[in-house]
Amino acid sequence: MIIRYEIGIVDTRNVIKMLLDDFGYDFRDYALTSLKRRLEYVITLHALRDAEGLMTRLKNNRDFVDQLLADLIPETTEMFRDPSFWRILRDEVVPELLKGSPSKPRIWLASFDSGEELYSLSILLKELNLLDEVSIYCNALSERTIQRITSGRLDPKDMEINEANYQRFNEKGKYSNYYSAEGGTIVFDVGLIKNVTFLKQNTLIEEEPGAAKLILFRNQAIYYNQLLSEKIFAKLSNCLVAGGFLALGIKETLDNTNANNKFTIYNDSERIYKRKTT
Amino acid sequence: MYKAVIIGGSAGSFQVITRILHSLPPTFPLPVLLCLHRLKHVRSGFVEALSIKSAIPIIEPFDKEQIKPGKAYLAPANYHMYVELGNKIALSTEEPVNHSRPSIDLSFVTAAQVYRDKLIGIILSGANRDGAYGLKKIKDLGGVAIVQNPDECQVRTMTEASLKMTPVDFVYNTNEIIKFLQNIKA
Repeated sequence: MIIRYEIGIVDTRNVIKMLLDDFGYDFRDYALTSLKRRLEYVITLHALRDAEGLMTRLKNNRDFVDQLLADLIPETTEMFRDPSFWRILRDEVVPELLKGSPSKPRIWLASFDSGEELYSLSILLKELNLLDEVSIYCNALSERTIQRITSGRLDPKDMEINEANYQRFNEKGKYSNYYSAEGGTIVFDVGLIKNVTFLKQNTLIEEEPGAAKLILFRNQAIYYNQLLSEKIFAKLSNCLVAGGFLALGIKETLDNTNANNKFTIYNDSERIYKRKTT
Repeated sequence: MYKAVIIGGSAGSFQVITRILHSLPPTFPLPVLLCLHRLKHVRSGFVEALSIKSAIPIIEPFDKEQIKPGKAYLAPANYHMYVELGNKIALSTEEPVNHSRPSIDLSFVTAAQVYRDKLIGIILSGANRDGAYGLKKIKDLGGVAIVQNPDECQVRTMTEASLKMTPVDFVYNTNEIIKFLQNIKA
């Protein structure tokens, strides 16, 4: 899809204001360049012509906001993105989670994933026979996204990329074990996520599972400005148990944030942090 | 008078970029933003290869990194690289554009919106049309648009697409691009 509509700064602010005032979704501290681009994407995708068209649609059809939320957050376009990250997770981090844990360790997928991260994580755990030994919590901003994930219909953009990533993650595994192709539609095995608890969030992530041992938050703070990054990192830091892990995207860092002194770097190239004891 | 240089390249651009970076004065007064098509799953090695002969440091930036003069910022593999208000790098994992992530169009458009007429955009050799629209946006907002002479390019598709979409300021051979950049004053 080619996006040639350009939204101005005033219109952007008007949409942000409407989403907050009329719907309670706060995008004020989302990174402006990306947010503008996503609004342009949504307006083009739904043929709304301009920001005025978008606001009129929201006014006339309040249910459209759920669609908007689903479309505003960029999809995770591939499974097993950064295969080396998933290998480290499998070989080093997950074994740590299970050590000395009387109850099931909690894993919190705190980014607004479109399903690809969740299924990647679940496949990883299944291959370790640990799917029933952990509790997984998954954030979601829209009902549509939850439906998409729980139906197994992720609308993969490029199965070849998914498969190549998976093969780099596990060269002996068989990616096709995890989906079926029904009449040209790819449906992932929903058995993989049957124990997942979805947390319906607002834009500021105000629900939390508490006492997590691992938080995946890859490539989410890139859509925040500095202020919101600080707030959310503080929240995630508070939710992690001492010694718990926080995984960011491979081009994200806690340097220059207040949360940095709560963590040590556990794996530099895969951007995995470990929560300090105190 | 200028605030930044942004360079887009794809197939056949590596040697050109290397020569340009080699020829810049170590005190080059502007930041250089590099959006080059690259293999998505090969994360390391590219910065190192470009750095060998570069006169200025090359950084593969983290998200929200402050953009500083005299340094080159290479768009990381499998991310789009934007320029954000406040002169910062912003990364994105949005869908590929023109089958590319990083997309030259997106880097150019966002840089143009921040630097406006203080931006120099350069399109080099490449095998697809990515960058043509971005160069047009730079030109529309008053910046300087430069295209490598297609006759000199290993693959001329990208430069020709750019020339078709917008009347550029200069069509230069690599030597002329280098001379132009060397003459930039702070």
